Amino acid sequence: MLDELAKIREDALKRLEKIKSEEELSELSTSVLGRNGALTAILRTMGKLSAERRAQLGKAANEVKQSIAEALEARKAMLDAFAEQKRIEEETVDVTLPGIIELPSGKLNPLTKVYREIRDALVGLGFTTFEGPEIEYDDFNFTKLNLPPDHPARDMQDTFYINDRVLLRTHTSPCEARALMTLKPPFRLVIPGRVFRVDEPDASHSPVFMQIEGLVVDKNLTFADLKGTIDTFVKAVFGENVRSRLRPSYFPFTEPSAEVDISCTICGGKGCSSCKGTGWMEIMGCGITNPHELQNCGLDPNEWSALAFGVGVDRVACLKYGISDIRLLYEGDARFLRQL
Amino acid sequence: MMKLPLKWLKDYVNYNVTHKEFASKMLLRGFEVADIIPEMKVSSVVVCTITHIEQHPNAERLRVCNIDIGAENELVIVTNATNVYEGCQVPVALGGAILADGMEIKPTKMRGVLSSGMFCGGAELGINDVEYEGAGADSVLILNGGTKYTNGMRIQEALGLDDVIFDIELTPNRPDCQSIIGLCREAASALGQKFHEPVIKPVAGSGSAADYAKVTVLNPNLCPRYCARVVTDLKIEPSPKWMQLRLKLSGIRPINNIVDITNYVLLEYGHPMHAFDLACIEDAHIVVRNAVEGEVITTLDGKERAVTPDMLLIADPHKGVGIAGVMGGLNSEITVNTKVTLFESAVFNAANIRRTTQKLHHSTDSSARFTKGVEAVNAALAVNRAIELVDILGAGRVIGSMIDVCNADISEKIVNADVCHINRILNTKLSGESMAELLSGISIPADVCENRLRIKVPHFRTDIEDGIETDWDIAEEVGRLYGYDNIEPTLMHGDSFQGRLSRSVIIEDSVKDTMAAMGFMELYNYNFTSPQEYDLLLIPQNDEKRNTVRLQNPFGEDQSLMRTTLIGGLLRTMRTNCNKKSGHGRFFEIGNVHFNNPDLPEERKMLGIIAYGGAGNVRNTENFFTLKGIIERLFEILCIENARFERGGGAYLHPGQKAVVSIDGEVIGEMGCTHPRVEKNFGLSCSAYLAEIDFNKLAAHTNNSRKYRPLPKFPIVPRDIAIVVDRNVEAQTVIDIINTAKTQVIVENAKVFDVYYPKEAGDKGIPEGKKSMAFSFELRSDERTLTDEDINRAVNTILKALKFRLDAVLRS
Repeated sequence: MLDELAKIREDALKRLEKIKSEEELSELSTSVLGRNGALTAILRTMGKLSAERRAQLGKAANEVKQSIAEALEARKAMLDAFAEQKRIEEETVDVTLPGIIELPSGKLNPLTKVYREIRDALVGLGFTTFEGPEIEYDDFNFTKLNLPPDHPARDMQDTFYINDRVLLRTHTSPCEARALMTLKPPFRLVIPGRVFRVDEPDASHSPVFMQIEGLVVDKNLTFADLKGTIDTFVKAVFGENVRSRLRPSYFPFTEPSAEVDISCTICGGKGCSSCKGTGWMEIMGCGITNPHELQNCGLDPNEWSALAFGVGVDRVACLKYGISDIRLLYEGDARFLRQL
Repeated sequence: MMKLPLKWLKDYVNYNVTHKEFASKMLLRGFEVADIIPEMKVSSVVVCTITHIEQHPNAERLRVCNIDIGAENELVIVTNATNVYEGCQVPVALGGAILADGMEIKPTKMRGVLSSGMFCGGAELGINDVEYEGAGADSVLILNGGTKYTNGMRIQEALGLDDVIFDIELTPNRPDCQSIIGLCREAASALGQKFHEPVIKPVAGSGSAADYAKVTVLNPNLCPRYCARVVTDLKIEPSPKWMQLRLKLSGIRPINNIVDITNYVLLEYGHPMHAFDLACIEDAHIVVRNAVEGEVITTLDGKERAVTPDMLLIADPHKGVGIAGVMGGLNSEITVNTKVTLFESAVFNAANIRRTTQKLHHSTDSSARFTKGVEAVNAALAVNRAIELVDILGAGRVIGSMIDVCNADISEKIVNADVCHINRILNTKLSGESMAELLSGISIPADVCENRLRIKVPHFRTDIEDGIETDWDIAEEVGRLYGYDNIEPTLMHGDSFQGRLSRSVIIEDSVKDTMAAMGFMELYNYNFTSPQEYDLLLIPQNDEKRNTVRLQNPFGEDQSLMRTTLIGGLLRTMRTNCNKKSGHGRFFEIGNVHFNNPDLPEERKMLGIIAYGGAGNVRNTENFFTLKGIIERLFEILCIENARFERGGGAYLHPGQKAVVSIDGEVIGEMGCTHPRVEKNFGLSCSAYLAEIDFNKLAAHTNNSRKYRPLPKFPIVPRDIAIVVDRNVEAQTVIDIINTAKTQVIVENAKVFDVYYPKEAGDKGIPEGKKSMAFSFELRSDERTLTDEDINRAVNTILKALKFRLDAVLRS
C-alpha cells in the first residue's frame, strides 16, 4: 500500500509538471484528491487494516495528500503569475506613438474670454450684470443721453437706422437710460453687448463690435472716484503694473468727460511703435454722467450722481492677444480660433 | 479735424517747445494732435552748385554735371535738363532721397556714367509758383540768382518752406476751435503763454451799404443773423502769395483775391462766408427764404441740385443764388469781371443745414462748420475782418456800414457757478479765485462773489450752458485747466455692493464652456444677412423667418436684413473654412436674431451649432447622432430632463434626418442634417449637421434646484427584449409604450440598443417591411425584492402592450 501511495504521488507530480491551465489543474486535483480520486480510494480501504498498520498508513497518506496539495498550490501560483505576465505583455503599448484626440479642440472666442475677464473684474468691484436690446429706440440711444435730434455729436456715431424712431444701438449706453428709469438707486451695473456703427470693415473697424459699460449711481460721486475706479479696473484687467491716466475729452452723456489711456502694454510706457512713441494707449472713455441725462431719466442731478465708463472688448482683445486685424474675431476662421 | 500751421500759430503765441511736447500738452487739454505734417514732403533734397557741365560721352541728350554740396568731394549728376548752367544753384535729390510723390531716389548708372541722384523741379518738390517763383515751370528749379544759398542746405530751409502743420482732432463741443484763433487761444493756455489776440482794424469806408443792397430774411428761425458788407470798384486778381500759401497749407485751393479772403476768414475765425457778384443779384436784393417745390439750383461746382421746401436758399426776388450754408450759386459767382461784391456772413440753423447736407449728399467746409454750430457775434467779426483784408490787399473800395438783419440774442451771457459744487464734482479744494485765474487763461472772465463764480461767457463759448448743466460745464473747464492728472484718485465710498451675475449670464457661460469642452469653436457672426439667403435656405414665403427687420442704410443689399436665424451664418462659416481646407469643423454661436414688429423688433437669443466633415477618421465623423449626442450631453449638464426629439423641423433640413427638440412639451429648437439642395445652394462639399435652439427657452428649463432622490432600496432587475416591428416604427414610440405599460412594478431607463434592418426579405426570420429592434429596461419595486413571477408578469404586460399598439412580435 505504501508503494501505491508513493506511485500516486509520483504520477501526480509528473502530471503536474505538464499542466498549463487552471482547468487541468482542477481536473488533476479532483482525480487525485477528489471524492472519487486515487488517494481517497486508498484511504477507503484502510478500514480493513489493523490499527497499528492503519495509523502508519494514515500518516503516510496524509503526507502524500499534503505534498500533492502543496505542489498543486505552487503550480497554480506559477500559472497565475504566468497569465498575468502574458496579459501585461499583450497590453504593452509603444508609449511613443502619438496620442489619439477623441474630440477636436473647442475654443471660446477671444471676445468671450476678454468679456468675461472684464466683467468678472467689475463684479468683484460690486457691479451686477444688466442687458438690453440690440435694436433700440432713438430716444434711449441718443435723446435721453443728452443727444437730441440733429445734435452734432450724433455724427460721432454713424448709425444704422430701421426707421425714424428705431435703430441699431451705437453703444451700450441706452441701457443706462433703461437702468436709470427702472432701477432704484444706488446701484452698480456692468452692461455688455453688441453694438453697431456704419463703419466699413477694415483692420481696425468692424460694423459690429462689443462693448462693456460700467455705470455707478450713488450720492456724491466725484471725478476722483471715477479716477480711482478706472485705475482699479485697469489693474484688474491688464495687470498690477499697468498705469492709467485720464485726459479731457467730450461725450454728450458725461461731463466732465475723459479718455482713458493705459501705459503701453507692449513697451511698458517707454515708447514704441505700438504706442506711436508716446508710452500710452487709448483704451476707453469715461466721465461723470451729464446732469441732463439723469434728469431725462427721472433722477434729480442735485440728489444723485453717476459715473460711467465704456470699453471696446474688441480693442482689449486685440491688445491682449496681439491681434492686428479686428475682423479675425468675426470671421470664424478655425485656424485663428484654434490658436487662442 | 483742423489744420494748424505752426507759422500761423506763431503769429499769436510764443512757441518755445518741441513739436512732440506741444502735442503732448495739447492732448492733456483735450486736443489730440493726430499728425504733424511737414510743409514739404521731401527728404534729403539739398542745395547744390553746378561747377562743371560736359556732354555725356554716349548720349546726345544727356549732360554730365559736377556739383558741390558743401562736402569735400564733388558729386556727379547726369541730367537731361537743358536749363542748367555752370554756377547755378539747383535742388538735388541724392541717394535715399524721397520726392513729393513718394518716389525714392537711388544712384543710377546712365548710359555708363554713374549719377549720384537727380536735379529737382517744382513737380518733384511738390510746389509751384505760389511757394517759390519759378517752381511752376516744367524744368529744373534754378534757385533765384543773387541769393547765395549754402551748398548742402536742406531745400525746405532754403525755400523758407520748413513749416509744419498740426492736424488736430476736435470734439463736437468746441466748434469755436474750428478756427485758427480758437485753437491758438487753447494752445497759448496749454503752453502757459499769453495769447496775442488779433484785433480787427475797422475800415470805415464811404457811403452806406444800404444804398447798394438790401437784405430780407423771410425765415429768421433758420437764419437768426445775416450780416453783409459791400465792396465796389473791385480789382479781381490772384491774392498775395502769403495768403495763397496759408490756404494751401489748410488744403484750400486759391481762386482769386475776393474768394480767397472769404476762405481765409473761414480758417482764421471759423466763420463761413460767401461773396456774391452783386450785379447778378436782381434789384441788389438778397432774400433768405425756403426753397419752393421743384426748384433747381446750379451750385458753384457746376452741379444742378434739386432743392426742397425744407431747405433754406439765398435768393434775389426772382431766383435762387445759393443754398444757404452749403454752397453759392454759379449764377452769382465772383468772376474776373465782377465789379461790386456783397460779402455774406450769416448764421444758419445747424440742424437744418445738417439735414440739407444729408439730403443733398453734399457737404462743404462751410456746411461742416454750420452743422457744428456757428455764433452770431462771430458773424459780424468775420465780415469786418474780410473788409479789413480787402483794405489791406487793396482789392476794392469799401462801402461803409454793415447790413445786419439780426434776430439772434447777441447780448452778453452771464452765468453763475457754485464753487463748492465744482469742488464736490472734482473732489478738489480750489478757491473761487484760483478757479477764476484758471478760466482767465482761456479768455473766460470770472468774478468771485460769495462762493459763486460770476462768469461772463465769451460769445465763442456756446457750449457753456446757463441752466442745470452750468456747474458741470465750469467743473469740466476748471478740471481740464487744473489738470486731470492733479486730481488724486479715491475709492468710491458709501454702501458696499455685492456684485453678481444674472442667471441668464451664468447659464450662457455654462453653455459656452460645455460647447467648447465638446470640441466646438465659438463664433461671433455679423447680424446682417441678405434676402437671398432665405431662398438659399428654402425658407417658405410665409415662414416666420421671412419676417425680417430691414436696415434703412445698409452697406448693400446683401447685408440689408437683420438675421432671423443663425443657420445662414453657420453655413457661410463652414464654406469659408472648407475653402481654406480646414477639414473637420465644429462651431457654435450664441447670438440674437430679430423679428419685425410694429414697435421694437422681437429679439431672441439663439444657440446655433454646426458640425461637419471628418471623413477618414471614424471617431470624428459627424452624423445626425453625434450632434444629437452633443445636444443630449448639453441638456444633461444643464440638468434638463424630459427632452424629446421628434421628426420635424425647418425646410433647410434633410426631410429624413431632422428633429424638433422639445422639453416638457415646449418646442425649444430643431436639429438635423442639411437638405441636399441647401448643400448645393451654399456650395458645400459635404453635409452639415445643424441645430438652432432658443437660448432663453433652454435657460428657462435649466434646473439648478435639483433635489436628491433616495437610491432604490431593493435590487434592480435589468431585462432586454428584441421585437420585430414595421420598418417605420420609431424607437421613441416603443420606449413610450414600455414606460407607460400598466405593470405592477416600476419600469425605468428604457433604451434602444440595437436596430436591425433585414438585408433581404426573410433574413434572420424577419418578414418583408419589418425590422428588429432591441431594448433594455430596468424593473424594480419600492416595497420588496421582485420575484420571478413579478418580473415575468411585467415583461408580459409590456409585450402585450407592444403587440396591441404596434403589432410587435417578440423575436425568438
